[in-house]
Amino acid sequence: MAEISSASAKSDRGFLTPSGRGLFGWIFSTDHKRIGLLYLYAILTFFMVGVFLGFLIRLELIAPGRTIVNAQTYNALFTLHGVIMIFLFIIPVVPAILGNLVMPIQIGARDVAFPRLNLLSWWIYVIGSMMALASLFGGGGPPDTGWTFYVPFSTEATTTNVTMAASAVFVLGFSSILTGVNFITTIHRLRAPGVTWFRLTLFTWALYATAWIQILAGPILAITVALIVVERVFGTGMFDPLKGGDPLMYQHLFWIYSHPAVYIMILPGMGIISDIIPTFSRKPIFGYWAIAVSSLAIAFAGSLVWSHHMFTSGMSDMAVFVFSLLTFLVAIPSAVKVFNWVATMYKGSISLDPPMLYALAFIVQFLIGGLTGLVIGSAGTDIHVHDTYFIVGHFHYVMFGGAAFAFFGGLHFWLPKFFGRMYNKKIATWAWGIMVVGFNMLYFPMLILGLQGMPRRYFDYLSRYQPLNVLSTVGSWILVTGLILMFVNLFRGLLRGPEAGNSPWDARTLEWTISSPPPHENFEEIPVVDTYPYDYS
Amino acid sequence: MNPQLITTTEAIDAVFFYILGISLLLFIGVTGTMVFFVVKYHRKRHPEPTSDVQKHLGLEITWTIVPTLIALSMFWYGWQGYIHLSTVPENAMEVDVTGRMWSWSFEYENGKTSDRLYVPVNTPVKVDIHSTDVLHSFYIPAFRVKKDAVPGMTTYVWFTAPDIGSYDIFCAEYCGVGHSSMITTVEVLTRDEFREWYEKEPAAESRGRDILSRNGCLGCHSLDGSSGIGPTFQGLYGSSRTVLIDGEEQTVTADEDYLRRSILEPNAELVKGFQPMMPSYEGKIPEEDMEAIISFMQEISEEEGLRGGPESAGQEETAKPEETAQPGEDEDSKEQEEEQKQEEDVDVEALLQEKGCTGCHSLDGTRMVGPTFKGLFGKETTILRNGEEITLTADADYIKRSIQQPQAEVVKGYPPVMPPSSDLSEEQMEAIVRFLEALK
Repeated sequence: MAEISSASAKSDRGFLTPSGRGLFGWIFSTDHKRIGLLYLYAILTFFMVGVFLGFLIRLELIAPGRTIVNAQTYNALFTLHGVIMIFLFIIPVVPAILGNLVMPIQIGARDVAFPRLNLLSWWIYVIGSMMALASLFGGGGPPDTGWTFYVPFSTEATTTNVTMAASAVFVLGFSSILTGVNFITTIHRLRAPGVTWFRLTLFTWALYATAWIQILAGPILAITVALIVVERVFGTGMFDPLKGGDPLMYQHLFWIYSHPAVYIMILPGMGIISDIIPTFSRKPIFGYWAIAVSSLAIAFAGSLVWSHHMFTSGMSDMAVFVFSLLTFLVAIPSAVKVFNWVATMYKGSISLDPPMLYALAFIVQFLIGGLTGLVIGSAGTDIHVHDTYFIVGHFHYVMFGGAAFAFFGGLHFWLPKFFGRMYNKKIATWAWGIMVVGFNMLYFPMLILGLQGMPRRYFDYLSRYQPLNVLSTVGSWILVTGLILMFVNLFRGLLRGPEAGNSPWDARTLEWTISSPPPHENFEEIPVVDTYPYDYS
Repeated sequence: MNPQLITTTEAIDAVFFYILGISLLLFIGVTGTMVFFVVKYHRKRHPEPTSDVQKHLGLEITWTIVPTLIALSMFWYGWQGYIHLSTVPENAMEVDVTGRMWSWSFEYENGKTSDRLYVPVNTPVKVDIHSTDVLHSFYIPAFRVKKDAVPGMTTYVWFTAPDIGSYDIFCAEYCGVGHSSMITTVEVLTRDEFREWYEKEPAAESRGRDILSRNGCLGCHSLDGSSGIGPTFQGLYGSSRTVLIDGEEQTVTADEDYLRRSILEPNAELVKGFQPMMPSYEGKIPEEDMEAIISFMQEISEEEGLRGGPESAGQEETAKPEETAQPGEDEDSKEQEEEQKQEEDVDVEALLQEKGCTGCHSLDGTRMVGPTFKGLFGKETTILRNGEEITLTADADYIKRSIQQPQAEVVKGYPPVMPPSSDLSEEQMEAIVRFLEALK
């Protein structure tokens, strides 16, 4: 990190200018932009680990039976892939990285409301992730429960390091909660004069809605995983029917957090898309109010649909009825967003720069993720595809094809701002194309496999499922190739690329008005804003 | 039976077609519009935007209301499908299924048990689902039914099979190392075939097979020589197997003691080439069942002519195939064992099978989920106790400890997946130890 800042100290490097404290100038910095980059490095490191584990999973599944690892190792692989991708990557990725980098500038603030709390959140993230790594070693070996830690398997059957992994999730939850508290306070208290609620960018709106989920749902996750630990250590029997407990209660608790968590993952991504599309269409966003309100609607209604993960669990038919109905209702605000994004392009002047390409891929892939969500929101059809590869395909379309693609778009959109340098757009376009092909080849076959009845979390499968599994594995190779190309090109450009200028995309939001890289505290003078954020008139 | 009765498959597939059909139209509509805009309004062709319209209440209302109506229709149709799945026809035949790590066993109203679900064609069948340990999920893709098996709770599915044939049953809720091998089938028979099967008393010689079937052994171990999750039972008895004990290859003879060991402590002697995933059947198989299993194993091995010599003719007396036994340091004790086995030879092996030990512990030296039983007794074994490596001799005490508290001392190189078995009688324990001692 010190190297990055010293590599080109000739021009004004803003917040990247070496502080003279070396590494300490970073890991103890309270500058929201430095903290954002700290998250960037930490989270991308875990993302690469997660990708590698996923790559191994696909390699194992290229043929039935044992291919490269045994069943126990395979179970550990998908558990770790899930834990890392969910808790260490996709939940924090956009708020912690891009939210920290961009949001305070977008509202005309010098920093977040609680800069030291912000730094603490990063440290908690690091400690939690170290605990997650510690669960790999010693004791009974890496956890093999799946990221959902379902009881009674996690509490009574497995002898692996579930206690350590659950404790790690407990700690990581606090990082998320504290970031949420920080962002809500920042958005309420630190808006520059003239930045009314309806002059907020839609990215900030999305972060605001997300932050509420983080602080309301986060504590439930903490309680749930704490109960797993208590159950394992003291045998309290909370989830054991022989001791008056109930395994279904665990599932309710788990999903009361983990379903809203899905919106923690996707809402900020939607916010990125809402900022990218007007910029590259040279048009104000269509339906600003509808998009802003739909973020809040998703955050609210999304908190009431958790039991759609449990249609086959044995819960009552009444519960199935209610949760299926609510699930269909939460689909509406997402659909409204998609329609408004497409409408924004109408009669625009569209340039297909890399951020826009990611936004377009997001819309198509999120659409597939959302529409397959209708199949599993419907009670009758969910019974067949629940816990099959259809689910795996569906949530990868939403989480990877949606949230992660939005994040990549956000990186290509905003990182030139924060490094002051531009990557090679031609290579970025190629990487995008390779990733789209690889991604869809990897996950679309899973939807078909699921409809054909192949259960998920299967180390071994019947030979009739092999052709599509081979296709999927080949897709994973293509996707990984694209990812490597994307990251290499992006970071080479950010370190050595040509000067990007203050506003390389001719975007109209506040962050593009200050110099690149932005100075410490962003604004010499707090700006007074009297325009709408997407003003292209 | 009402022939007009709509099957679960038909009911659910109609919902699939409705939802997927509309989804496809929506996908084409939205993506098509987007691509059209991108092409038509590309900056090359359209250098300046020609509209700055920012809102349109009518459009917002339309694309809120129309999707809401579509979504509600999907919800309602899906709910009707769900109701179909949860409304059992009154004349349905009832079968109980119990899931456990990692097999299914079915029990019919007349007490008949099986590891496959035999049902008559065109007859509604209600399956009551139980679990003895962790969550499982009973899933028949062909009939679009699935329901979790939850400890302490009885759940159900029902279906009508319209065609004769064999259909897969999967476990769909992750349940540990053997999850993907927790597979069996629905066998749909004609009404007459089913009645014949249902009413047939298990013949004496097929008792062993029934026990294997009921305990889920045949889910992993075939009887016809085909390779499965575990080694086939065909030709197993008396054969010489390469097993891994503490990661070391040893050759053992699959005699009665070995089989018993394999059932009770499946992971101790793993047949080479197999995964250590079989749970212990300690305390789950009564002695008489164990005997039946072992004599059944002998029979099928003899039938197949895989064992030549005078032993082919015998039963219990010939259970100890000396000619393939490895000369070991316990030759003497083995001979003593021989005598004791005159009475209980069959028992231990059957016990090991019935308790499922051999699902993970081979009797022939093959490495599976757990170490092979072959050559286990008296062997120098490196185990992990509280995370520390300790080398000890696998004596009688060790074997008993390993059965009762398998996780306390896990053999190095094996996953700690074996469930404890504390309900074996002292006699059974002793018999197992003797069996293992003889299985060199």
